[in-house]
Amino acid sequence: MNSGIDLQGSFIESLKDLGLPGDVAKAIWLPLPLLLMIIGATVGVLVVVWLERKISAAAQQRIGPEYAGPLGVLQPVADGLKLVFKEDIIPAKADSILFTLGPAIVVIPVFLSYLIVPFGQNLVITDLNVGIFLWIALSSIAPIGLLMSGYASNNKYALLGGLRAAAQSISYEIPLALSVLAIVMMSNSLSTIDIVNQQSGYGILGWNIWRQPAGFLIFWIAALAECERLPFDLPEAEEELVAGYQTEYSGMKFGLFYVGSYVNLVLSALIFAILYLGGWEFPLPLDKLAGWIGVSENTPWLQVITASLGIMMTILKAYFLVFIAILLRWTLPRVRIDQLLDLGWKFLLPVSLANLLITAALKLAFPVAFGG
Amino acid sequence: MFKILKQVQDYAKGSFEAAKYIGQGLSVTFDHMRRRPVTVQYPYEKLIPSERYRGRIHYEFDKCISCEVCVRVCPINLPIVDWVFNKQTKKKELKHYSIDFGVCIFCGNCVEYCPTNCLSMTEEYELATYDRHELNYDNVALGRLPYKVTQDSMVTPLRELGYLPKGVIEPHDLPKGAARAGKFPEEIIKETEASK
Repeated sequence: MNSGIDLQGSFIESLKDLGLPGDVAKAIWLPLPLLLMIIGATVGVLVVVWLERKISAAAQQRIGPEYAGPLGVLQPVADGLKLVFKEDIIPAKADSILFTLGPAIVVIPVFLSYLIVPFGQNLVITDLNVGIFLWIALSSIAPIGLLMSGYASNNKYALLGGLRAAAQSISYEIPLALSVLAIVMMSNSLSTIDIVNQQSGYGILGWNIWRQPAGFLIFWIAALAECERLPFDLPEAEEELVAGYQTEYSGMKFGLFYVGSYVNLVLSALIFAILYLGGWEFPLPLDKLAGWIGVSENTPWLQVITASLGIMMTILKAYFLVFIAILLRWTLPRVRIDQLLDLGWKFLLPVSLANLLITAALKLAFPVAFGG
Repeated sequence: MFKILKQVQDYAKGSFEAAKYIGQGLSVTFDHMRRRPVTVQYPYEKLIPSERYRGRIHYEFDKCISCEVCVRVCPINLPIVDWVFNKQTKKKELKHYSIDFGVCIFCGNCVEYCPTNCLSMTEEYELATYDRHELNYDNVALGRLPYKVTQDSMVTPLRELGYLPKGVIEPHDLPKGAARAGKFPEEIIKETEASK
């Protein structure tokens, strides 16, 4: 298997050459990926907020943000700065500890999940062998924070919103996990790197989307529900619940919810790209093409090109999915709470179970195509 | 047994129909993305009011004969005509005239019935004030003429929908000299005279 670029190894090696001991070199390396992850996630949020506003405007024949920077690209920055400088209000009758803790519990797991998102063979913060399971586990922490902030606000709308968020997250977690399980079964690994590698080699034809036509739909629906995106945005349904669990929040605490929801959207899109759209793979099998031309896999310039193409492909795929989510937002009306739970428990759950069983059967019957 | 099969079949059919309709809806939303916005960005762009726009009323003090017809035809007797009878000249002498635009509904009856045409409609509509009493215009304020949108160098004037060429709904970036749809009144008059 092509090992690609090993940034960590070469960074530590170059520091060692400068005369630093190995442990110090490793300690210098350690905060860099974390910093990069936080910066990357935050910039991703800014881009998505801008995209959301511009695409929404285009879908409604409006202009959208225009004056803050060219084409209004600085609008999310301006919004964020405004939130930072706003007064932070804790309602008098609210439980101040839980009220403060709530947004943090919602945001931290989402950022943590970025640990397992690979942008290339070695361009991942940690290649855990339980990678995708970590994401599912972390995403089930968020409803606790939502319920906590909803309950601590001491407000009926916030409480209802929090309860709805918890109910929604719990019921859509199961089809989500089951559709991920089908993928995991095919790639014989929970590691995100292995899942992508299993799809590589045949370009676009090797991607899991062809082998899991039902699975990717279930995953996408469940992911939208997990992110509280529009057909499933009941927890913050503004017509009924003012803003759901965010009702009593202002300033940066509200900002945390806001950032958290968008980071979660980008994260879901990234995970979708990894699970079903071949992660960092180019639609054409690049290493085979290089082999046909007669360029070795280990040529430095080829490695740089494939690595940067990989990052671009991952981001492009993720933003394409974000675009679909925004388009869906302006197409579909919000479902009722009973319809939401009906869809989750009576439709997605049995279909995803059937999908899992069919995948298992196909894996036994055709081990070549379904990862025996 | 067959009943259950039928139910499953119906449910599956329903699901596929729903998916189909979602796809159709998405295509509609997607199609809207290629239509350009017709937004008039207000303080920088303004629509040109039509010739018969009923804006703030203009009043010429010197033409007024204090007949009070405007007061009588007004739905709420709004114009205030302050005159005294001069016994020497045996004529009404007009002191003040005012209309409160905070109350006026711009129906145009006073303009319609004024025997000396001293009242007329302007195209001014930006009447916002911080105090509603500032909307009570006296004869001096009523005699001012509004600034034309087309002459304001800070503003891009845009034509209203009825004044655009045939088939065009976008007022931005019109070619120079693009005529509006239909005929102008003078053209119609010329044609009717030619046919006689």
